[in-house]
Amino acid sequence: MSNNQDDREGRLKKKILDRFDDETSQEIKILKSRPDFRPELEYFVDLLAGGRDPATISARTGRPVVALMCLQAPLELFHVYGLQPFKIFGGTMVAQRLSAPQLPAIMCPMLRSALGELHLDLAGSKGQKFLAWVTPTTCDWVVKIQDMMEVCGITEKPPFHRLELPHLKDRTESQDRWLEEVYLLRGFLSQITGKKKIRRQDLARSMNIYQKSWHVFSNLIDLKRTGRVPEIWFMVISNSFFFDDAEKWTESVKKALPVFNKREKALPDIFLAGSPIFFPNLKMLHLLEEAGLNVVMDDLCSSERIFPGAVYFDDFSEHGLLKALAQRYHQGCLCPTFSDNDRRINNIIAPAHKDLYKGVVFHVLKGCHPFDLESLTLECRLKDMGLKFIKLETDYTSEDSQTLLTRLEAYRNTLAN
Amino acid sequence: MGYKIGLDLGSTAIKMVLVKNNEITWSRKVPTAPGQEALAMELVKGAVNECGLSEVDIDHIAATGYGKKLMSSAGHTVDEISANAQGLHWLSEGRCRTIINIGGQDLKVINLNEKGLIADFKMNDKCAAGTGRFFEQAARILDTPLEKFGEMSKLADEPLELNSTCVVFAESEIVSLLAKGVPKERIIKGLHHSVARRITHLLGSRNTPKGGDIYLDGGPSQNPGLLEALEDELLMEVKVLPNPQFTVAFGATLSAN
Repeated sequence: MSNNQDDREGRLKKKILDRFDDETSQEIKILKSRPDFRPELEYFVDLLAGGRDPATISARTGRPVVALMCLQAPLELFHVYGLQPFKIFGGTMVAQRLSAPQLPAIMCPMLRSALGELHLDLAGSKGQKFLAWVTPTTCDWVVKIQDMMEVCGITEKPPFHRLELPHLKDRTESQDRWLEEVYLLRGFLSQITGKKKIRRQDLARSMNIYQKSWHVFSNLIDLKRTGRVPEIWFMVISNSFFFDDAEKWTESVKKALPVFNKREKALPDIFLAGSPIFFPNLKMLHLLEEAGLNVVMDDLCSSERIFPGAVYFDDFSEHGLLKALAQRYHQGCLCPTFSDNDRRINNIIAPAHKDLYKGVVFHVLKGCHPFDLESLTLECRLKDMGLKFIKLETDYTSEDSQTLLTRLEAYRNTLAN
Repeated sequence: MGYKIGLDLGSTAIKMVLVKNNEITWSRKVPTAPGQEALAMELVKGAVNECGLSEVDIDHIAATGYGKKLMSSAGHTVDEISANAQGLHWLSEGRCRTIINIGGQDLKVINLNEKGLIADFKMNDKCAAGTGRFFEQAARILDTPLEKFGEMSKLADEPLELNSTCVVFAESEIVSLLAKGVPKERIIKGLHHSVARRITHLLGSRNTPKGGDIYLDGGPSQNPGLLEALEDELLMEVKVLPNPQFTVAFGATLSAN
């Protein structure tokens, strides 16, 4: 019986792995056959196509890979310890089939897909596992990820570190607490790498590398504001950030900037808010394009928010640098899991006062509760201002594409009213 | 000359109107089946023949509904929310401010401004609860034609409290009620009220119209029992125009302007 069970599981994994490859390559084909595809974008598409297992990423970056469950952990710290942080994400529909039977029916599809991918053993398929796991305690799903991995039968058990995130930003005690967590992360990274000390010059250098990435990325954001960067390409570029060395990625973004030298069509500009979107599930972005809507701003943590912004420091001591990092990653983060989060709402509303967009499309992945809850506040605030808002709840299936498109088309018509 | 055709290719029926000078001169519907374009073109042919016209009399074909993109012969397509808004604004002579549309597989609430433009709209997510499909399923389980739902619900004093508007769960609930000997009339009245509550939730307190009239359209709006339940839940008068299942197809022809 046990052998049969193993056999069945093996066959299921093989079947799903084949479909996983199909799902990925299908989206790659769509991207490469777009009329606005240019050779400068090939690097990013190839990164996404080239696998997300630790062996591939480690070979590409020359660094051991640490899995990150959320962007909240300061990336610069991993870098200075010679590690490559890799944000775990799941964008495939088919991978969910492996994890779904063990998990709640209504659950974040992104994490369900990520768990399916891990179960598929993509992580260890080439004989190399993640060196460690780091989990900032942001949303409920991420908080319980270790339990869910166990339930899903994911046997990989590398060192696991939790970063406790204080969900109040404005309290000094919370900020101090978060700084302690950053110190604890440093201790953990020191332990797994065996590097007892880091030089502050090296930390400052790592911070500068990410600063440059942010600077070039913000140039891309500026271009997007003018309507010249299709959101699909923006997402491909931002999604691929963790797949390579930050400096190489930054150089490639710099080379890609001139590609977006003109606005193709005069479509209504919108702000895309809400749950993250990950390759290859670009359904929502394709539908937005089909409906004739142009995303000029977004606040997705898989897109414009992959960096918390520029890290400023004038205290060059190690403590000063760590404090600057802690501050930026806590204060700069606009995740809806924070409790005192007016800045997030204002970040969406303020550009409307300057007429930078016509309306907000709020994307909610079914089961992504923080965004779902927040959409209520945002909807009230925007509608009170006479602005257009639409919330679209969806998952990774394609069966709702037609109804979503109908809504988006009607929504586009309302923007002219 | 001067005729327009509006086609609404919905999930359960294809509706067609022939329009001259913004007035419906002919209308018909057929159940949706594979080969939607061929079915729609049969309707067009039927209209042309029955009205003694020839194809050159048709100036324009406008298509809407989920199958709109299948109509290669359409002069233009429009989404069904915008078509519904335009159609009801015209037919209500500008009095409509809120539309409740019950389609085969969806529910829509559309708010209009005084110019008939869409101010806001809500639509159910991918779930057929409270839609035309829900009523069809209930009719099958109750072994009662849908056309009788209205008169039968009037015979019941109090509606039964039904827990589910889910097409799947309502089935087992109805079967269990029938087994307990609950009269069909009470069950039907209960169904109307549960759908009306779902619509009221979709409408939400923020979307309750502050002026103008509220209209119900789509196939199930011909059911007086549902209309009564809806007025009872909303505590407002709800209007229904003649031939409410053709409003969207008619609106598509207006959008050609």
